[in-house]
Amino acid sequence: MKILVAVKQVAALEEDFEFRADGRDVDGDFLVMDLNEWDDYSLEEAVKIKEACGGAVEIVAVSVGPPTVDEALRKCLAKGADRAVRIWDEAMRGSDSIAVARILAAAARAEAPDLLFAGVQSSDQAVAATGIATAGFLGWPHAAVVSQFTYTPGAATAVLRRELEGGLLHELEIRTPAVLTIQLGINTPRYASLRSIKQAAAKPIELRTLADLSLNAAEAGSSARVRRMYVPDKGRAELIEGSAAEQAKRLAAIIRESTGAA
Amino acid sequence: MSRSEAVTRILFEAFPAAEVRLFYVLGFAACAAFAYGVYVQVRKYRRGAPAALAGGMWPRLGWMIARVLDHRTVERRDPAAGGAHRLIFYGFTLLFIGTATITLQYDILEPLFGVRFWYGRFYLVFSLVLDLAGVALIAGLLYMMVRRGWLKPPKLDYARPDRSPGDPDFDRPQYRREDWAFLWLLLIIGATGYVLEAARLVWLQGRADVWDTRWWSPVGALLAAALRGVGLGPAGGGALRHGLWWFHGLIALGFIALIPYTKVKHVFTAMGSLMVRDPLAAQRLARIPESQAAPGVAAITDFTWKQLLNLDACTRCGRCHEACPARAVGAPLSPRDVILSLREFAHATLESGTLPAAAELNVHGKSPGQVAQETLWSCRTCMACVEICPVAVEHVPIIVQLRRKLVEDGAMDPLLAKTLATIHKTGNSFGESRRRRGAWTKALPFPVKDARREPVDVLWFVGDYASFDPRNQKVTQTFAALLAEAGVDFGILYDGESNAGNDVRRVGEEGLYEVLADANVAALGSATFNRVVTTDPHSYNTIRNEYPDFGGRYPIEHYTTLLERLFAAGRLKVTQPLRYRVTFHDPCHLGRFNQGYEAPRQLLALLGCELVEMGRCRSNSFCCGAGGGRIWIPDPAGGEKPAQNRIKEAAAIPGLQVYAVSCPKDLTMFEDALKTTGNEGKFVVREIIELVREALPLAAPAGAHA
Repeated sequence: MKILVAVKQVAALEEDFEFRADGRDVDGDFLVMDLNEWDDYSLEEAVKIKEACGGAVEIVAVSVGPPTVDEALRKCLAKGADRAVRIWDEAMRGSDSIAVARILAAAARAEAPDLLFAGVQSSDQAVAATGIATAGFLGWPHAAVVSQFTYTPGAATAVLRRELEGGLLHELEIRTPAVLTIQLGINTPRYASLRSIKQAAAKPIELRTLADLSLNAAEAGSSARVRRMYVPDKGRAELIEGSAAEQAKRLAAIIRESTGAA
Repeated sequence: MSRSEAVTRILFEAFPAAEVRLFYVLGFAACAAFAYGVYVQVRKYRRGAPAALAGGMWPRLGWMIARVLDHRTVERRDPAAGGAHRLIFYGFTLLFIGTATITLQYDILEPLFGVRFWYGRFYLVFSLVLDLAGVALIAGLLYMMVRRGWLKPPKLDYARPDRSPGDPDFDRPQYRREDWAFLWLLLIIGATGYVLEAARLVWLQGRADVWDTRWWSPVGALLAAALRGVGLGPAGGGALRHGLWWFHGLIALGFIALIPYTKVKHVFTAMGSLMVRDPLAAQRLARIPESQAAPGVAAITDFTWKQLLNLDACTRCGRCHEACPARAVGAPLSPRDVILSLREFAHATLESGTLPAAAELNVHGKSPGQVAQETLWSCRTCMACVEICPVAVEHVPIIVQLRRKLVEDGAMDPLLAKTLATIHKTGNSFGESRRRRGAWTKALPFPVKDARREPVDVLWFVGDYASFDPRNQKVTQTFAALLAEAGVDFGILYDGESNAGNDVRRVGEEGLYEVLADANVAALGSATFNRVVTTDPHSYNTIRNEYPDFGGRYPIEHYTTLLERLFAAGRLKVTQPLRYRVTFHDPCHLGRFNQGYEAPRQLLALLGCELVEMGRCRSNSFCCGAGGGRIWIPDPAGGEKPAQNRIKEAAAIPGLQVYAVSCPKDLTMFEDALKTTGNEGKFVVREIIELVREALPLAAPAGAHA
């Protein structure tokens, strides 16, 4: 029994930040990198399945990204993943969710897991497509926004609940292998002590290239590219107080100001 | 035989040889039972992990003997019990030495070397001393009985805050029975000793060497007079003496045999514990040895032999129970019960011939003898228990070792886990960006030096709360202004500084502490400075006591001593004395941990404040509740918080105007408690730094200084 957990290292903005010279992203100096919050939950869900059955489950954390991603993968190893796989090629730089899904699907074919977990979305890009697109490329059953999951290793099906709008829940039975995107709150992710993270540093992280996955550069690249990233101009709001006459006067002034008639 | 040699202790006189032999057989049996008990105890300690002891053997021995003799640790905060214990101790010890001396002559020196000294004047003086020792012993025992039976101090109530009524180990009546049995046994030994002596006198009243010297045993002589008064004659006296001799002798031998199996063993274990005491037990926690596979303590055998000895030294005196801030507000923790639980656990598992299976050695849980998570997470590591323990039990390192295991298992409050992850990611507990650590300096009218770029005289280690908490930032800015006005050449590490790690370490996250300590030692190493100052007692403690283990040795002081010196040197002058009625809260990490009791008080006096002490002050200061990482764990709703308990204590001071603190976390905790206890408006909470500022209003416009 094997569970593949697709994880992503996400970027969080510092309070003051600057854009990169090309204007297409924030300068890396102003980003704090960490494991995507949703992935913490999907990894925990995998570890719980492993613990519940006494260990005959292999958990493989997989991520697409440059060497800096190793830190996020080490955290997964510290929290209970048995192996970590990082897939990288310069052709993958800046790839969108669909390209990443194509890469993950190739990795899943190579690993042949019984389940593939992904987070519902990533906190930095929030496309929420990677997991489900991976299922599409694999042609596997899938469920999104899973908030409860019951599975006995070896069983042909799993039972899950997923969140719908308006407080409704869906309960479904799904055939394995399947792809599930895991929602926050499905469990309580464990704390990875620094000691376990340090010990995980000694474990190898397996590297896969395009060739290893029999992909070509075009398949790994994005079909969309970011043109620019920017902070929109801020609107303005003002509560006008005072008597009706004062309010009217202020309103007139604002209108003159905004139409350039001042 | 000369007249004086005839004046001696009557031993086996008129005993048939068979009875004497029987007595020796029983005596050896008692010694054998004692020796076996000692062997079992020593084997138990040896089943613990190795322990490294700091300092030399002889100074430790000297310190222990001095404490045993002066009883200083026993009488603290309970002089009556301490005094009674002193009477029992000296009484018992003298009587023991007396009996041992008889054996020395009768069984060793005389038969082997023909040496006799137990006669004449020596015997008479000794007889007087032992008679008085008996009085001391009985007086002490009677007070202890009155104390247990009538005074009933709450600290002697064995009901546990971490168990519920109905639990098998809730209030442990067997402890009460043992306490009383111990007192009665000693009392009976002492009392029968006197009656025995009196019976002997009545029996031998015809012998001048005995009768004429009887007043050297005044209590015995008085009792003899009384016995004669009620009609006892020599023959009756002889019979009574024979019977009582056996009774007294048998319970005395029984007492010796029972020592290693009962609370009486504290006479040895307490001495051992005092001797292996670590004066920095709570201030400087132990690193995890490289060779240790799993951090912390999971099994009872993971404790060191020294900690197992600590467990056995506990006398259930309840002083730690009384001092514990968590216990005082109803949290499920009593340091006494952690120790007693673990002792029961060690007794049940480590005293048998073969060690039970590993699974039965796990000390974490809720079964009798185990320690629950909630109990461990209630601890503030404020050191009140360690500080007051008369027999040097070191509770805090034991609790932190247990927590290390919980941290490794992730068994902690989710908010705490989140905070630890945040500290790892950003280097501070506020989750702020590293580069904002020095942002508070932007509001100052002068630049603050970056100590990594230019040499400074004083390196100011600012700490998390003083750097990021908006309320504390004001204090931080004020302190910077005071330093500038006094012409102190100072600088900070800006984003090179990380959380000092004091509380992270006390939470039990040793791996993260190592990262933080290494980072700060590296940052401090990149700066050139003469000494370190900090306004944060937590940072002060870990840098002062724990960074040396990470290669960082710096002269460091808390701001209170620096300001005091600046005043003494005339570099700061009070221009507007304050005349406030203030009370001062000793921060645990400044006071108890590092004896910084005087400087804050002297500053308050310099400012013209009238200091009214709270009942719990100095070494008995009551923790604000933030220590040991508790500031990152929400307190249960509804219950009283330690800070509220403390503010209520201060509120009882008539006419109090200012509650002075000298710790950033104290400012946060007590301003909050002032509001939640409804005391807002009655008095204010102020950092001493703010009071100094108030007494030295800015003479020159801002920015005018160098």
